[in-house]
Amino acid sequence: MAHFHADFPWLLALCAFPLLGALACLALRRSDAACRVAGLVVSLVVLGVCGWLFVLLGGPRGTGWLLHEDLAWIPRLGARLTLGLDGLSLVLVLLTACLVVVGVLVSWRREKRAVPLFYALLLTLESGILGVFLSLDLLLFYLFWEIMLIPMFFLIGIWGHERRVYAAVKFFLFTLAGSLLMLLAILGVYLAHGHQTGEYTFALAALQNTILPAGWAPWLYAAFLLAFAVKVPLVPLHTWLPDAHTEAPTAGSVILAGLLLKTGVYGLIRFGFPLFPGPARDSLPWLAALGLAGLFWGAWVAFRQQDAKRLVAYSSVSHMGLVVLGLAVATPIACEGSFLQMLNHGLSTGALFALVGMIAERAGTRRLDELGGLWARAPVLAGFFLFFALAAMGLPGLNNFAGEFLVLVGAFRAEPWLGALGAAGMVFAAAYMLRLMQGVLWGPPRSAEPWRDLSLREGLVLAPLAVLVLWLGTHPATFQDPFRELARVLAASLGGAGGAP
Amino acid sequence: MSLAELFSLLPVLVLAGASLLVLMLGLWLKHLPSLVALGVAACAAAGALAVLVPPEVMEVGGMFSAARYARFFLVLWAGVVAWTLLSSVRYAAARRFQPGEWVSLLLFAGAGMALLSAATSLVGMFLGLEAFTLVLYILIAFHRGSAAGTEAGLKYLVLGVTATAVLAFGVALVYASAGTFHLPEAMAGVAGDSPLRPLGLLGWGMLLVAIGFKVSLVPFHLWTPDVYQGAPAPVAGLLAAGSKGAMFSAVVGLLAGIGLGLRDLTPVLWALSGLSMLLGTLAALRQENVKRMLAYSSVVHMGFVLMGLLDAGPEGQEAVVFYLVFYALVSLGAFGVLTAFSGEEGEPQQLAAFRGAGYRHPFLAAALAVFMLALAGVPPTGGFMAKLGVFAAAIRAGHLPLALVGVLASLVSLVYYLKLVIAMYMSAEGAPPSGSPLHRGTRLEAACVGVCLLGVLLLGLAPGALLDWIGSLL
Repeated sequence: MAHFHADFPWLLALCAFPLLGALACLALRRSDAACRVAGLVVSLVVLGVCGWLFVLLGGPRGTGWLLHEDLAWIPRLGARLTLGLDGLSLVLVLLTACLVVVGVLVSWRREKRAVPLFYALLLTLESGILGVFLSLDLLLFYLFWEIMLIPMFFLIGIWGHERRVYAAVKFFLFTLAGSLLMLLAILGVYLAHGHQTGEYTFALAALQNTILPAGWAPWLYAAFLLAFAVKVPLVPLHTWLPDAHTEAPTAGSVILAGLLLKTGVYGLIRFGFPLFPGPARDSLPWLAALGLAGLFWGAWVAFRQQDAKRLVAYSSVSHMGLVVLGLAVATPIACEGSFLQMLNHGLSTGALFALVGMIAERAGTRRLDELGGLWARAPVLAGFFLFFALAAMGLPGLNNFAGEFLVLVGAFRAEPWLGALGAAGMVFAAAYMLRLMQGVLWGPPRSAEPWRDLSLREGLVLAPLAVLVLWLGTHPATFQDPFRELARVLAASLGGAGGAP
Repeated sequence: MSLAELFSLLPVLVLAGASLLVLMLGLWLKHLPSLVALGVAACAAAGALAVLVPPEVMEVGGMFSAARYARFFLVLWAGVVAWTLLSSVRYAAARRFQPGEWVSLLLFAGAGMALLSAATSLVGMFLGLEAFTLVLYILIAFHRGSAAGTEAGLKYLVLGVTATAVLAFGVALVYASAGTFHLPEAMAGVAGDSPLRPLGLLGWGMLLVAIGFKVSLVPFHLWTPDVYQGAPAPVAGLLAAGSKGAMFSAVVGLLAGIGLGLRDLTPVLWALSGLSMLLGTLAALRQENVKRMLAYSSVVHMGFVLMGLLDAGPEGQEAVVFYLVFYALVSLGAFGVLTAFSGEEGEPQQLAAFRGAGYRHPFLAAALAVFMLALAGVPPTGGFMAKLGVFAAAIRAGHLPLALVGVLASLVSLVYYLKLVIAMYMSAEGAPPSGSPLHRGTRLEAACVGVCLLGVLLLGLAPGALLDWIGSLL
């Protein structure tokens, strides 16, 4: 770490910087344009820092912390500002920075109401997500976990579509129900640890070694699992997702699908599994079953949607099911695939939500039976749409294929029939994506008025994402290297190949 | 009472003396701002004395403590009164409140609350409690033009007097069982081997009933919504922040003295706490009136505080004190926003009146939204840290089911807190607020609200300093 001023708390600054940006937006509330620029500048700076970190710290890495910070916070409770960056969080932090920039750009002309508040909330959200991916102190983690919630509630509730308030409240309640139980579980571990050692602390590293009173561990793990499963979302806790994703403004959907869902999986990997290894191992068959259920159920429901945005939303349920399946079979390859797939899904679904937003802006509808003919009217936009839809479908050479392939190979090795089922799920994915493409791209245009093709701003959103998708599809190693070792360790701790049912 | 004892009581005497002085001055001087300035100066002086001048004796007349715990609360209540005075200048002037009486009564309420928090004997507790309850009877009905205010005052009076009678009876029974009013010892009658234990327990039960009335625990909460609704907004804020907090700060002392006897009381406290959280939440869900909603929300919060008290150790007490400080700040803030929104006549009370306020009154509405989220216990506000403390206390004392009830209440309570947020930010576009438009609020009012906002956020993000301070009190 010779390149750094080692004393400077880079990670804390990274989490705090968007918050400062949010305050700046509130201070600049007289001018909408200034707020847009402030939002863009702040999110670009964060992206720059994250990209720089990736360049500096990327490459094949072990399991240690690439960066680690530990500052005093609330001594009386034993809570500290402990933040750490490893290969997995490095990749996810980079994804966060990317998608927030996308969120800022897709909202540029679209959101006209209360612009300063919009960008302030978007940046606050970024702070929360970065904090979740970086905290190693359970209290701090919980704080960031909830900080993510509030801006998203407002983003959906203020700038959303017709049933926005319903969707926003549902989202808030579902997530909070899970996380409040997790809070009790955190307190349980904290008190048990303090009781045993006399040292009350929220530090993950210390709490990992707690020997819990007999019978506690499964319950505490269940509370953690519930909180994370709501966020992922695992079937049957997914019902908030289609509403929230569909009603949210485009930027909200991009961030919800691209990032917030990842926080659930990440929480499970970072906190749920290490804190309760025993119950975690026992839960793997269930997780595998729920993952598979999500894979099929999400795909089936997606296939039946009329609303393009809702279709993409349900496709997220399906994709996240595969990610969970990869973790649950607990082979190194499958875990690696899951990690990679988190990144892939974030990029391709984020791009699809952005595209659906752009199309709906032009057409005034998101219904598949009213859309159509995009190819004839806006060929560049249609080209991007085709590209990302094919990526989401898992076309070889594009990003999702790499991750899905690894998950399936890993699953085959653990338990062939699991792999076979997973592969069958991929066929479903092809079905709904083809339907989406058919409905949007082909057929005759439904109205005569001409559409603007891709604007420069929209191109600036989509082109970098397309490059990333290609990069991940053809040379995923760049992004795999940092977390390859972590995946191996995770799989080993979860019981290797024996973890499958 | 020796000079040394009087000296130790000096901060309270400053408040009470200033109250008398303002009352006299008020006969000639009808200029509200200068009287308010005098009152605020008195509060500042009392607070400064309490912090800077160490007391000569730790207990005054065997009734009131001058120790750090008492001084801490004196500073808090002096601050609460000063805040109320400052934030209600326009409100009081618009309603032609008698300046002298208004300022004087508020100061006296502060003195009473400080006495209650300092009580080390049951008599001291009784005196302190009555001192500010009497004042509140008047303050609640202070707006002579308001029928609702008069009704609220009367309701509070009738139920309050009943509670007082029960309290006096309870004190007498405890005295009969233990032979002393002084606090740790007065609880000896409840101890297992005392022959007069039944008498002591009955006395304790009556004390609990009276306390339940004052802090509005279910099933003694029925007065709360009507009184909140009818009372002037600043007074309702004082009622929520101060009177309940002062009562609970005394209860901390009571329960600390009871020692092992707490075990016998636990089922009762458990039930009171659980019922308050559940029924308060259910009742609040149905409210369309913000003040009534806040009233039921206070019932829920008092249930949370009681949950913290079930852990008799210092950690539980610390959690309770922290909760009280947070609750004082957030209640003042919420009612402060209502005060600022109040026009010449009437106050905005219905949810519909707040429609779109988020865009017309960005600062006050944002502050109110933060206060609502804080009341719901969402991080990064102080409400989260406060709830964390009492949840930890409940689990530590082995009351996980009660903590689960608390979680359920927190979750459901979000619905009604969000109702106000939704009305302010997410109501149908262009919907005009019904009734008279909200007042913009003066700079002074905004500044007062800002202080609470800052406090609520600081308690959530950096509660370390306050926690350390509280830790040094107990």
